[in-house]
Amino acid sequence: MSRSSKEIRKSIEANWREYLSRYGNLFSSNSLSGSSPPSVFVGTYNYPKVNVGPMVPPVHGDTSLLDIPERWLGKSLEEIVNFRLSLVRGIKKVSVLEPEGRFIENLQEVAMSSRPTDSDIEFHKNTVPITTIDGESAPFGPIGEIKKAKFSGSSAQRTIENAYYDKDLKAEDAVLKLYNTGIDLSQIQKCFSIGMFGKKRKLVPTRWSITATDDIISKSLVTEILDYQLIDCCKVFSFNHLGNMFSIILFPHRWLFEMEEAWYDEQGQIGFGSDYEDARGIDHPPAIAGAYFAAKLGVAEYLAKNKTQAAVLVLREIRPEYAIPVGVWQVREGIRAAMKEQPFIASSLDDGINHACKSMSISKLEWLAKGELFKKMKQKSITDFF
Amino acid sequence: MTLVFSAKTSGSDDLKAIISAISTLVEEATFVANAEGITFRGMDPSHVALIDISWPNSAFEKYECDNDIKFGVRVDEFSKLIKRAEKQDSIEIGISEDNMLLVTIGKNKKYKMRLIESSASDTPLPKIPYDAKIGLTSSAFDKILGDVQVVSDYLTIKATTSKAEFSGKGDSGEVLIDLEKGMEQLTDISVKQESTGTYSLEYLNPVVKAVGTTAGSVTCEYSSAKPLRIEFKVANIGRIHFYLAPRVES
Repeated sequence: MSRSSKEIRKSIEANWREYLSRYGNLFSSNSLSGSSPPSVFVGTYNYPKVNVGPMVPPVHGDTSLLDIPERWLGKSLEEIVNFRLSLVRGIKKVSVLEPEGRFIENLQEVAMSSRPTDSDIEFHKNTVPITTIDGESAPFGPIGEIKKAKFSGSSAQRTIENAYYDKDLKAEDAVLKLYNTGIDLSQIQKCFSIGMFGKKRKLVPTRWSITATDDIISKSLVTEILDYQLIDCCKVFSFNHLGNMFSIILFPHRWLFEMEEAWYDEQGQIGFGSDYEDARGIDHPPAIAGAYFAAKLGVAEYLAKNKTQAAVLVLREIRPEYAIPVGVWQVREGIRAAMKEQPFIASSLDDGINHACKSMSISKLEWLAKGELFKKMKQKSITDFF
Repeated sequence: MTLVFSAKTSGSDDLKAIISAISTLVEEATFVANAEGITFRGMDPSHVALIDISWPNSAFEKYECDNDIKFGVRVDEFSKLIKRAEKQDSIEIGISEDNMLLVTIGKNKKYKMRLIESSASDTPLPKIPYDAKIGLTSSAFDKILGDVQVVSDYLTIKATTSKAEFSGKGDSGEVLIDLEKGMEQLTDISVKQESTGTYSLEYLNPVVKAVGTTAGSVTCEYSSAKPLRIEFKVANIGRIHFYLAPRVES
């Protein structure tokens, strides 16, 4: 019996639980002193009264790498999991509708800091490994309920600070403005999550904030792309990392975007998931969740930069080596990396898909049968008849 | 330079139908007004459907425009405001000196609404000869779409000299609705060449629902594997043309 990709994901997540229960206690203590990379985390559990707090490793100095996924490309799964495990997550229960008070303000200062922030935290009890992993956010180490927290040495990024104090600026516009000035997406996402933008501010769980920022930015890029000329031929970009194989096929057609995922579990069973949009955008939460928006962002950045429009098919094959899901950042960075590679220039769309599937274990026929794109392309465009 | 532009309808139904039809395709609309009347043309974002509206000055109770002007609106904003009119309320639109859209509903309700930057692009119309023409009452057409929707996402129209066949096929089954020449729902059928075309209900349904009974009848014109053009006949409006690109099996 074949399992859904969701079930396969669940079994993969069990690996992380096992890993954490084995190594998580190494960091068990009732106090912690270290430099937050900077990093803040908002949970989803018990929404709208959620667990909020900083993430801090037990070391001082330049810990920035620990929470900037833009810099993780090329690292192995073990390296990423190991350094993430050292991030201890302090929590306090806060209502998402009330992102105010001293504690939240401190976290906002941490989130907008351009450098790691020294943190001293006392916990009610020893920290314990809590084995939650959502597959969207990057994993982290043990958790402890905060009794007292002190932060020092943060230095606010000016552009973020301006958006923070601008209470007339809509959250969406703040995200776009910061993105356009070159602030790392991961930092924008943290600030968004900790309730720093918009007219009516609230906390947004980290997992949702990752999707929201990818969605806001990619949507804006696609609006721009819709005005550009179509790409002149079919191009195929590929990139593999962390047991994930990506192929991106661009071809001359008004914007269409489909992403298909195939997951392998340890028993060699395959689960599929896919989602699709045309120029009207996607009107439902995608089944493949945050990966959809992360991939769309990576491709849209390429098209906008090259001032060109195309229809896009993204294929992602997830190998059993991807034993612990490290977050959707790896999709975003994987796609961004692919789009920097030299593309294969295909003689036709068919040729392009053949090339894209060549290195994958899923056949072209299987991909096409699971996707919607080719069914949707039976719909002609009115401009074909001008 | 002061702009003279003022257009006043006698009731609100026609304008409601027009805005509602436009809202099925676009979020922002640019209208063009000149001495002859008001026009709108636009495609949906995926370029599958196109709507072309021509509203001659004679359709208005009062119409003045001494210059070519363009004005852009957010369709949802405009629509909300128009919906505040009762059926018999007149609606008068104009442009204020501070470049706002003035909308007077009935005698005493005066709205000012922000305009948006109007888009410059001139959309052409599909150039195709139509081999088949089918006239239907709008209620009959609406029913056919509903009947087909039960089993399919697409409507296939086949026209011969003596009858029109509407059919659909889906995972759950299929449907065939025959209208023979002479039946009262079929007001016209003229066919130069037997034609078959398939069109998406995702686009057809909303626009037919939007125009609703404001149109007494509709005329469908198409050729095999070519776009469909639906003309909605609305008493006080010149015409609403809705073009829809076909679905082609290949």
